[in-house]
Amino acid sequence: MSDETTGRPDLSTALRDALPTYEAPAALSAWATEQARRYDTESRGESARVPERKRARTFSVARWQMAAALLCAAALGWAGATLRTVTHGISASDQTASALVDTHIRSLLPGHLIDVQSSDRHTVKPWFAGRIDISPPVMDLASKGFPLIGGRLDYVQGHSAAAIVYGRRLHMINLFVWRSVPGEQAATSTVRDGYAILHWTTGDLSYWAVSDAAPAELDAFRAAYLEEASPPASR
Amino acid sequence: MMRRSANVEPPTATDATTRAPDHPQEHGFERVVLPHLSAGFTLARYLTGNAQDAEDAVQDAIVRAMRYFHTLRGDDARPWFLTIVRRVCLTSYSVDYQARENSLSVDEPALQLIDSDETPDTALQRSLLRDRVREAVDQLPPPLREAIVLRELQGCAYSEIAMITDVPIGTVMSRLSRARERLAALLQGVVDMGDVA
Repeated sequence: MSDETTGRPDLSTALRDALPTYEAPAALSAWATEQARRYDTESRGESARVPERKRARTFSVARWQMAAALLCAAALGWAGATLRTVTHGISASDQTASALVDTHIRSLLPGHLIDVQSSDRHTVKPWFAGRIDISPPVMDLASKGFPLIGGRLDYVQGHSAAAIVYGRRLHMINLFVWRSVPGEQAATSTVRDGYAILHWTTGDLSYWAVSDAAPAELDAFRAAYLEEASPPASR
Repeated sequence: MMRRSANVEPPTATDATTRAPDHPQEHGFERVVLPHLSAGFTLARYLTGNAQDAEDAVQDAIVRAMRYFHTLRGDDARPWFLTIVRRVCLTSYSVDYQARENSLSVDEPALQLIDSDETPDTALQRSLLRDRVREAVDQLPPPLREAIVLRELQGCAYSEIAMITDVPIGTVMSRLSRARERLAALLQGVVDMGDVA
C-alpha cells in the first residue's frame, strides 16, 4: 500500500518491508522441541519421570545467567550429538570418548549439571564421601581461572564416576574421575565432535576432563589441578 | 550474583477463580507454546539487539514457561509466551529499557541518498530505504521500539501489547503514537506520513 501521488510507502508498509521477522535458529528449535517433549512426557504421568536423571532440586533463580550459558552450550551439543550418529567404526577408546561427550552434553541440560552446588571445596569433597568409593581431590581453582561450580555423581561406560564441575569463562569443564584400570594409557588428548577430552591418571585414579573449551585450555586446567592437588614438596 | 529476581515471575494468565474451561495444558507444551518460538525469538532479537542474547533469552523463557505452564489459561499462548520472553530480556540481558526514553535526537540529517521526489523503485534504493528504516527503529527507546515491533511486525492487538508490556492500553496507544512520530521525524521524506501526523 503506497501513496498514489508520491510513490513512497506508508509507515506500516515501510516497517514491514524493512524489518525482518526472525526464525528461531535451528539449534534453538531442536533444543526447545526436545525439552518440550520431555516436559510433556514427564508431566503426563508422575511415573513417566526418567529414573536415573533427577531434575534440579535447587536450581535457583540466582543461577539464571549461568543457566543461559549452559543452555546455549546444550543447544550446540544437541547439534553435535545429531552429527555424531553418522560416525562408524568405533574403537574402545572412541567409545569412551563418545560416552564422555554424551555425558558432558547431557550434564549441560537444565538441572543436570550439579547435585551439589558450591564453590567451596569443603562442601563438595565431603559430599562425594559415602556416595562413591573414591575421594578425588577437589579444589577451587578460581585463582587460576577455573572456578569450582559443584559436583555430581555420574555413570560413564560402566564406571561410577565423580564429576567435578569447573567453569572456564563461559565454558563448563566436567572432570570425571573413576578408579583406573590396570594397563590404562597414562595420558591422552582427543577432540571429538568439537569437544576436547583430556585424560590423565594419578595413583589409582583416572581423570577425564571434557569441555567445549579449546584443548589448550584443558591443558592449562590439568596443570592448575595437578599443581593444587599435590603439595609442592612432592614435586 | 543475585539477579533482580523479584519481578521475573511470568504472568498468571487468569485468576484462579475465573478459570476458563479451556486448559491448554491438555494439548501439551510442545503444541501450545512452541509454535510461538520464532515470535519470541524475533521480540528478543529486537529487544536485546543481537542474536546470541536473543537465543539465550528464549531458552531461559522456555524453561520459565515450563515452570509456569500450569498457570496458562485460554487458547492463545502467544501473548503469554511473549510476556515471559520480554521479562527475561529486561531482567537478564541488560536491555537499557528506561535510559533512552528521552534521549533520542531528532537532529539526524534527513536521508541523503534518496531524493524525496523520486520513487524508490530500484533495488539499491529499496535496500537503502530498508537500512534507513531499520536504523530509525533501532534508535527508538525500547518501550517505543517494542510497541511498534509487536504492533507492526507481529500484528498484536492493543490489548495484547498492553498485557505483554504490562501497561494500560492508553499507554500502549500513546507509545505507538510517539513511536510513529519519531519514526516520521527520522524518516522525513522517506516514507509517506500522511496518516500519522
